Order: sequence, then C-alpha cells, then structure tokens
Amino acid sequence: MSIPGSTPLIEMRGIHKAFGGVRAVEDVSVSVHTGEVVAVLGHNGAGKSTLMKMLAGAYPIDSGEVRMNGQAVKITNPADSQHLGIETIYQTLALADNLDAVANLFLGRELMTRWGTLDDYAMEKAARDVFHRLNPNFKNIRVPVRSLSGGQRQVVAISRALYFNAKALIMDEPCAALGPEETRMVHDLVRKLKAQGVGIFLISHDMPDVFGLSDRLSVMKNGKTVGTYRTADVNEDEVLGMIIAGKKVTRVPEAFAPA
Amino acid sequence: MPNSLQISALDLRLSIMAGVLAVMALIFHVFTGNFLTPENLYNIAQQTAVVGIVAAAVALIIVARQIDLSVGSVMGVVGVLIAFLMYTHNWHWVPACLAGLAVALVIALYQGWLTAYLGVPSFVVTLGGLMSFRGAAFLVADGKTQPITDATFLLFGGGLDGSLGATWSWVLGAVLAALLLWNTVSRRRNAVAHGFPLRPVWFDLAVTGFFIVVLLAFVATMNAYVLADKGAGQGVPIPVLIWALVVMGMAFIVNRTRFGRYVYAIGGNPEAALLVGIPVKRVMLKLFLLLAVLVTIAAVVSVSRLNAGTNSLGTSMELYVIAAAVIGGVALSGGSGTVLGSVLGALIIQFLESGLLLMDVSIGWRMVIIGQVLIVAVVFDVLYRRATGERMT
Repeated sequence: MSIPGSTPLIEMRGIHKAFGGVRAVEDVSVSVHTGEVVAVLGHNGAGKSTLMKMLAGAYPIDSGEVRMNGQAVKITNPADSQHLGIETIYQTLALADNLDAVANLFLGRELMTRWGTLDDYAMEKAARDVFHRLNPNFKNIRVPVRSLSGGQRQVVAISRALYFNAKALIMDEPCAALGPEETRMVHDLVRKLKAQGVGIFLISHDMPDVFGLSDRLSVMKNGKTVGTYRTADVNEDEVLGMIIAGKKVTRVPEAFAPA
Repeated sequence: MPNSLQISALDLRLSIMAGVLAVMALIFHVFTGNFLTPENLYNIAQQTAVVGIVAAAVALIIVARQIDLSVGSVMGVVGVLIAFLMYTHNWHWVPACLAGLAVALVIALYQGWLTAYLGVPSFVVTLGGLMSFRGAAFLVADGKTQPITDATFLLFGGGLDGSLGATWSWVLGAVLAALLLWNTVSRRRNAVAHGFPLRPVWFDLAVTGFFIVVLLAFVATMNAYVLADKGAGQGVPIPVLIWALVVMGMAFIVNRTRFGRYVYAIGGNPEAALLVGIPVKRVMLKLFLLLAVLVTIAAVVSVSRLNAGTNSLGTSMELYVIAAAVIGGVALSGGSGTVLGSVLGALIIQFLESGLLLMDVSIGWRMVIIGQVLIVAVVFDVLYRRATGERMT
C-alpha cells in the first residue's frame, strides 16, 4: 500500500454528467491508490454506476478531469480506458451470449496471426490457462456462453481483467448474482489482485462485501458525494445513514487517501 | 450427441437442411420424372446464383440485427446504370461496372450512415430505399430497356457460352477438393500442436469426404449437361462459379477476421459489443458497404443473364433474399446464422420454384406454397432453438 498523500493511481476530480436535463453526476471526486480497494456506495440511481461507466469509457464525461499517476488522461471510449490498463467487470458481465467463452475473453482485443486473421488456437490456449487459474473445473469453453452457469459466466468476465493485466479494476456488483462458493472466489481474487498492486473500485450494495474487502468507501446520493471515509473508521449504521439519508459522518475526519 | 465428435447444434441443423434438400429433390423427381436431370440441375444452379450471392451478405446484415429491404431496387438501379453506360454511352464493360459499384457504395454509405451513426432503424431507411431506388432505376434510362451485346460481359450470366467447360470444371473441382482436404489436415495439425483434443480420424475423413463427393458429383452433373449442337459438356456455369467465390470469401470473413466476429458479437449483444470497445458504428457501416459490393456483383450477373438492363431488374428480390436467409437458419433476432445456411436456403426456394413449375403448378399456387414453406422453416427454427436451449420461451 502506498504512503498517505502520495499520488493516486486514478483520480477523478469534479466530474459532471447530465442526461438531457437530469444531472446524474454532479461535481464528484473519487480516487484509488495502487493496491487499494475503494467501495463506491449508494442507492439505485445515486450515480455510482454512471461515474464508473465514465471511467470505463462507456459514457463521455461532460466536465471534470481524470488523472492517472498524476497525469491528466483523456477517456472518450472503452478502448481508451483499456489502453490505460483500466478493466471493467460490468454487472451485466458484457458477454455476447452467442459466442463461446474464448471469443468473449478476447472480444475487441483478439489475438491475430501474422496474416492478420484470427488466431483461434493461440486464443484458446491462453484462455484455457486463465480460466483454469480461476476455476479448474471450467472445461466447456467452446460452447456459447448462454449455456454456461452464472459462476462460469462470471469467470469469463473476470478473466478479461486477469489476462490483460489490469492496473486498475472497476467491479460493478460482482457478487450480486453468485452463490456462496463463487462469492468466495471473487473475494479471494480481489485480495490477490490487491496484493499485486491493482487499484480496485468496487460498486456494491452488500455490506459484508464492503466491510470485508474495502480500504475506503465513498458514498453517493442523488449524483453527489456524501462523504469519503476509511472503512475501518465507520460502522455499518453510519454507512447506511449516508446511503439512505445522505447524513455525513462528523465523528471521524474524511479520508481522501488511504491510511 | 457424442461429445468427442464435437458436433455443434449448428452443424446438426445444417445437416438437417441438406437432408431436406435431398428429400425435396427425390420427391420432385418421383412426381415429375425429370427433376434430377443434368439440364434441370444446371438451370437451377444458374438461376439460384443471383439470389444466393445477395443472400450471403444479407444473412450477415440480419445477424447484426439489421435488415436491408432495398437490395432488389439497388440491384435494379446499378444494373440499369451499367447497361445504360454500355449501350447508350458505349462504355467498356469494366469502367461501366466500376461506375455501378461506385453508385452502390454511395447508396450504402447513405443508408449505412443513417442506420449506424444516426440510429434510424434500417427497416425504415431501406423501406424508403426500396421505393426510391426503384424509381431511380426508371430514371437512369427513362424506363427504356438497355440491351447488352458485349460477348465478354455476357459470359457472367452463364447461358449457353458462359460456363467453364468440362476440363476446367474438373480442374476447379480438384483444386477445391484439395483445399478442403488441406483445411482438415491443417486443422488437425494445429490442434495437435496446441495439445487440444482431436475428433476421431474416421469422422474427419467422413465429413471431408462427404463434401468432396458432393463437390465432384456437382461437377460431374454440370459436365453431363451436353447441348445438342455443341457436343461437349457445359461444365460449371460462370454465375455459379462467382457465387461459390462469394460464399468462400464470406465464410472467410465470418470465421477468420475480426470484422466477422464483431458482426456476430453485435448481433448477440449490442450493448456488450460497445462496452468491450468494439467500434460498433464503423463495423455496421462496413457491413452495408460489403453488401453493396455483393449487390453490384449480383447486378452484373443478372443483367448479363437477361442480356439487358431493365428498370424492373431485381423487383421483389429482397423477399427471396430474406426468405433464403431465414430458411437457411438466420435468426431475425440476430447473432445466429451461417453463410452456408444462406446457400441451402436459396437452393430450397429454387428447388421449390423449379419443382412446382415442372409439376405444372400455377404461379398463384407456387406463391402460396413458397410463402407457407417460409413459415414452416421459421416454426422449425423456433422449435429447434428451444430444443437446443438457445431460446428460453
């Protein structure tokens, strides 16, 4: 973990986003350091997914700036975000159901032969390795992903972050549709990536997820930030108070960098 | 279904369709006595080519959750333009065809841009195109028929002279057979090199052997068609050769290129395609441009077959093309379908047309029957997808 006050891996500052007349995100700032997990919390419609989608390049940013290691960066589409080493695991998993697991892992970033054609063998080989690391029992990687279980589909989505060596990872409700065993797999993975120095934004509704995994948390309500705290400094009731009532915690100071 | 054979639901479905085609041929032959003759099969192959060429691309358009209703009209305007430039303005056929291609590409840019970048539903855009470009086909030559006499150009249409002849047909058959064999061998070798499980040798041999037998039987049939005054076998008609090249090109695009994979990804889940960074709009525009190239090729073949460009060229062809794709297993919900399926679909329609014609069924009844066959095909499609778990409801 980095020293307090050091340059964050990713910093989003003064971000605004409106859809038509609706202000979805208003002057929001969040940051994540290397090897840190920052939970982004809020009601449905609080703006947390919109905020993260802007970082992932899925929505253009209206105003505000994104810095990576102190350098201002421009993200206008998902490819920009991927080039910067930011991977996103969407709640919907962003899988093409009619394609197999291998094609989905490499979707948009296929391995090519020297003749410029798809290198299916190289992709399948690489995919086998990365799937095996996540779930040794996952063998039917050549059937359309629509016929896979929820856990296997999650493995495919997560494997993108693993294979492309993410520097930063956005996880949108990664455990929402998973059973206990698969949830444990995701938790182990988060800890492992964190230990490798990956900075992780975790969007979650689940308090055990938040308190078990995150170092800091940022709460949003109606498109604005309520507060940012060290997870260890606050308790569950205070967090729920921020989410539901937008009530800022004054007992402890806010934390814009990890301890 | 034995797993070691690695037969997908898709392969199975294509096999079923090939079976349907064979059964249809046998039934028609029993009823008419002259369906399975070299002459009839030669004509069917030649007549299917135009619809088949366009259907190969329209199949991909439907896979990407779009539709193009304007293909018949665009083919009309492009065909008349080519004939007009050659007849009225005495252009050589090469620049005339290039001019036709240019017009087709401009139309595709216009319709593709409206669909991909502005988000106007392609159904509406191409419905407008269906009417407008039919009108344009009339305007090009003021509705006058433009006859074609250029001997080289007329070869593209097949007919009496436009075929490869026996020797070249065998050469073509041998080359394609070698290509099929090489494809299987190199796939097995690659699988071994990467340590992947292999299908049993007998199975690969049987599948490859089947395709080679069909291929050579086709060549033999085309060669067996001997015109009385020529005394030599006709061989593979040029339109069929063009169709085959188009299908191989499209199959390559679908299976081996990024573009092909993106088309299927967009059809499977457009939102996911965007989120993983696929340039969805650009892929969609390219798809319309690809279709324009194939429509131009079809226009050349069609004009050449008719020895003339008329303003009614390609009228209601869009219906046959879409029907061919759908009968061939392309789902209108997007994301699924094959180029080979479009070939089988186009053949099934032409088999019906030709067989019913030989049975002296009137045009009215032919249309009634073909329309209902389309519905039967879609019912089968729905039930099949449900049975293989592809569709939940």
